[in-house]
Amino acid sequence: MSASATGIQRENEKPVSPKPTLRVLLVEDDPADRELILRELAKGEFEISSAVAQTPEEFRQRIKSQVPDLVLADYNLGTWRGTDALEILRAENLDVPLILVSGTVGDMIAVECIKQGVTDYVLKDSLARLPAAMRGALHDKGMREQRKQTLEALDRKVEELARSNRDLEQFAYVASHDLQEPLRMVAAYTQLLGERYRGKLDEQADKYINYAVDGAQRMQSLIHDLLAFSRVGRMETELKNVNCHDLVGQAMKDLQAAITESGAVVNRETLPSLKANGSQLKQVFQNLIGNAIKFHGSEPPVITISARRHEADWLFSVADNGIGIPPEHAESVFTIFNRLHTRVEYPGNGIGLAICKRIIERHGGYIEVVPREGSGTIFKFTLPATVPCEVQECV
Amino acid sequence: MIPTTAEILLVDDNPADLDLTIDALKQSKWPSNVSTVCDGAQALAFLHREGKYDSAQRPNLVLLDLNLPKKDGRAVLANIKSNPTLRRIPIVMFSTSQAPPDIEGCYGLGANSYVSKPATLEAWNAAIQSVNEFWIGCAWLPREENQ
Repeated sequence: MSASATGIQRENEKPVSPKPTLRVLLVEDDPADRELILRELAKGEFEISSAVAQTPEEFRQRIKSQVPDLVLADYNLGTWRGTDALEILRAENLDVPLILVSGTVGDMIAVECIKQGVTDYVLKDSLARLPAAMRGALHDKGMREQRKQTLEALDRKVEELARSNRDLEQFAYVASHDLQEPLRMVAAYTQLLGERYRGKLDEQADKYINYAVDGAQRMQSLIHDLLAFSRVGRMETELKNVNCHDLVGQAMKDLQAAITESGAVVNRETLPSLKANGSQLKQVFQNLIGNAIKFHGSEPPVITISARRHEADWLFSVADNGIGIPPEHAESVFTIFNRLHTRVEYPGNGIGLAICKRIIERHGGYIEVVPREGSGTIFKFTLPATVPCEVQECV
Repeated sequence: MIPTTAEILLVDDNPADLDLTIDALKQSKWPSNVSTVCDGAQALAFLHREGKYDSAQRPNLVLLDLNLPKKDGRAVLANIKSNPTLRRIPIVMFSTSQAPPDIEGCYGLGANSYVSKPATLEAWNAAIQSVNEFWIGCAWLPREENQ
């Protein structure tokens, strides 16, 4: 043991009494029995400070002036019962263990008392069991308190996390929103420079202006996408009955130019109706089909969209015959602004799949890619067939 | 449709945006006299012909930014649209914001249209040309009331 640890040990030692003091409230109307119980307590490992209550009024008064660590109560108290003391403790919202110390009451009553919340039951003719019963009761209470504290700490952490998440959302939105205006100035005036002064400076100057215009425009498109991404998190997910067959149809209509140009074939198998935010779910289909077209292989793209019921979820699959995604990128493709190719190979900001993931997760589902390098890609995602409660709250 | 030179008031706190708009208006086939003010209080003084603006021309068209110092665009819009004389002037909101609450709020206050400031020079010019072409070149505007 280190020196400092020994020091701490010494500080914790109690100089007067090595025994912990325990405040016991005795609810017992027989003086002789009180004497017996106190004598038994004196033998144990606790330093006892005891008080006595004989009537409900007295009991109420006692627990109000000082909350005991433990209540030892007789069952039959003439006009009232030990279990009534338990009710009083509950009414005062106090978690104090109560042990019945009583003559024989019969198994039925004993069981009934335990059911009501009495911590233990000790017979007066076997008082030797009392210290063990007290230890057990105090240990149980300690565990309850620890559990309560842990739960409270957990609640605080959850709240902190939620707040920090909200702050981040707000930050992303405000930052990208406020960045737009100064950036537009840069973009517009470099463009103006390019238009009005092309050929009037030297060749280098024209090139520099082009770089500046290109950079500003790319930044504008990144901010535009960041805002779109952030909006998915901010918008309330309003769930309505939607028909996925129709949503895919709408997505295909929006992608008509790309479909015609690439000669893509989109196969729609039977798709379900479910509760979802229609425009967001359409966006998911559109991004996935759009990707399948963009990352096509040497053959024209063939895209198959299907769904099957799996327990409480619908399991969707969007499969293509494109260039595929290497297994090591199966996770990172969903990260915002993550791209697997250069802009020259494939244009884009790396936002589409991040938005898909966000939308699916906000609907209580998950999305993954089945990596099959060189032989097409399959995206799979789930959507609850029944509405999960956390999404329902947003409606 | 007005035969003479149109009076246009631009309200914007960003001189770079003002210049882009003035530049775009100069390229239009419809001649216009452009006045500019850079906050909401000045805009109202101009329209109510107060202080140094006592001899200001009533504009045929106002392009009004949303986020302005002193009095923001919504307050200016609300003031104009609750004034029996000024409310006849077409107000085109011209703002970076594309947020539905901003757009809906302005129409709710009586804005005549809402145009979001485009991100590129080309689109900016096109937007200003469209606004000018419609309000000055195509639409019939109220005659100015004699005071």
